[in-house]
Amino acid sequence: MLDRIATHADLVAAINELAAQWRLIGPVARPEPRCQPPVRYFYEPVERAEQIDLSFSYGVYSPKRFLMPPGETLFTFRKTERGFTAEPQMEASPTALIGVHPCDIHAIQTLDGVFARDFRDEHYFARRERMFIVAVDCPQPCTEGVFCRDMESNDAASGFDVMLYPLDRHSARGTSPADHDRYGVVFGSDAGRAWLMGDGLPRTRAPGALDARDFETYQRRKQAAFPRALSTPLDELPALLTRSYDSLLWQATAQRCYSCGSCNLVCPTCYCFDINEENDLPLSTGARVRTWDGCQLREFAVVAGDHNFRARPQERLRHRIFRKGMWIQRRTGHKGCVGCARCDRACTAHINSVEIYNQLAEEG
Amino acid sequence: MSTMLTSEPVTFGSPGRSAYIPAPARLIDVRDLTAQEKLFRLRLDDGRALDHQPGQFVQVSIPGVGECPISLCSSPTRGPDFELCVRRVGEVTTHIHELRPGDVCGIRGPLGHGFDPQEFIGRDVLIVAGGLGMAPARSLVQYILDERTRFGRFHLLYGARAPTELLFRDDLVRWNESPDVNFLLTVDRPDPQWRGKSGVVTTLFRHLPKLDPERTLVAVIGPPVMFKFVVIEVLARGIPQKSVFCSLERRMKCGIGKCGHCQANHVYACLEGPVFRYGELKALREALE
Repeated sequence: MLDRIATHADLVAAINELAAQWRLIGPVARPEPRCQPPVRYFYEPVERAEQIDLSFSYGVYSPKRFLMPPGETLFTFRKTERGFTAEPQMEASPTALIGVHPCDIHAIQTLDGVFARDFRDEHYFARRERMFIVAVDCPQPCTEGVFCRDMESNDAASGFDVMLYPLDRHSARGTSPADHDRYGVVFGSDAGRAWLMGDGLPRTRAPGALDARDFETYQRRKQAAFPRALSTPLDELPALLTRSYDSLLWQATAQRCYSCGSCNLVCPTCYCFDINEENDLPLSTGARVRTWDGCQLREFAVVAGDHNFRARPQERLRHRIFRKGMWIQRRTGHKGCVGCARCDRACTAHINSVEIYNQLAEEG
Repeated sequence: MSTMLTSEPVTFGSPGRSAYIPAPARLIDVRDLTAQEKLFRLRLDDGRALDHQPGQFVQVSIPGVGECPISLCSSPTRGPDFELCVRRVGEVTTHIHELRPGDVCGIRGPLGHGFDPQEFIGRDVLIVAGGLGMAPARSLVQYILDERTRFGRFHLLYGARAPTELLFRDDLVRWNESPDVNFLLTVDRPDPQWRGKSGVVTTLFRHLPKLDPERTLVAVIGPPVMFKFVVIEVLARGIPQKSVFCSLERRMKCGIGKCGHCQANHVYACLEGPVFRYGELKALREALE
């Protein structure tokens, strides 16, 4: 059920109002002549809503880095005569993340789960709790090769402050002026409701019978628009992986892996990190920082004595796919993989997770 | 948010507190154990006891250098001070070795899942330690000796590579003379002065009296290559694998189940471990291979 109807112009005005108090992040088109159409989208800080393209295809990277920066100071320290003092760094400016597709909404919920359980990670939540999220639904797959429907992450029912359904995009894309585009609005939080219905003139209107009918049509078309890519149902993936632990496919596929970690880098649910020291000059002060790390890098599982528990690329590939297809879900209750296929697109060796799952399934 | 560490108790995961901030601990005493290992006695600056389990570990910080995981090698029954046996292998441990009494380092922990003393109480206990595994083993040994009447028969097997690599020599002498523990010792490579047993740690099993399979719990602590051979000896004596606990070595970075470095298959050694039941460990292919 839709809560409200907003036009594109309503949203532009409302987002610009947010910009007064919030740092705005949204998908921005960057020219890329080798792509068709010749643009790629990146989540970037912007000043104005007009810089954001709500009808973007997909973000080359997910919005992960605004929740978990590639490099982050955990604390600064100052050495004293015989000891030290430390000061935690948990500053976060209020951030509005505009234009998040359902797959990335699911991925953010996974990160939330990871950083909330066991020992709560306050550095993560300092940012997360100051984040306002406006999601945009996908009426059709954003590009080829995605398998979000298989991962049941092409719809999101929670994990956002506001969800926007681009009701006219199927029929009117490219034919009607953007400011007549209708968005069905679903509120996911009180903050979301307050944003579009708060003080001053309401910028939106209540949905009418026509809107409700169009939303039904939208959902029906959407169901038909998303093909299935995996031959194995989602709930059977853990069993498939469990019986495939010793498959030769890991080696066969990993033969061409460069262990570059590009898949980890672009994955919206990869969260592993390293912790290192950064010293200032003179060496009396410094910082402990965490930086993204990747399980596909050769040194990731090295232990004392330089023994490497995953020394071979096939062991690392298997580790990644097992995390995505089974272990993260088992541990956090959230999706380990959202089917965005960023790993597959980023892979310099064209290793493809859908192919891996389907080849494993053929092995029976 | 500004925090002077000296006034901050370590309360992991409590709202607003960073779980990555180490608490300052002062070095009370240092002793050389071998050419590579030193024993450090530490006290948290706020006077609090660590309140740890044998088998747990801490992250030791040298600001400006980094942090590394070290097993606790003293028992919580020994008061608020705690001891760490540190082998000099890398940058952080080299700097730890340079600490002098009165110096301060950072401590996060206790971390991980250790040997639950409650589970061992009332049982016969066999501890099999190899190499540096004697360090975490010592925590459990001390616990049992301090609470001796609450345990049944107690056997301790310790194998080191060479006499020069034996840790805790003072303790070894005491344990050897103590009626409270059946202590057996061997070295792989004896030198001409060595008067004791030689051979790998499993050769000590033939010197054990008959074990009661129903009553005995076994703790195996050492390099992973040792586990399999010890477990074969243990199973051969009719002890069920559910009664066998192993401590797993990994290089923990965050120590709180996030960073992924200590992950063996689906488990995080820093959370579910480092102490596992052998039955759980057996299912983890990456843990033992």
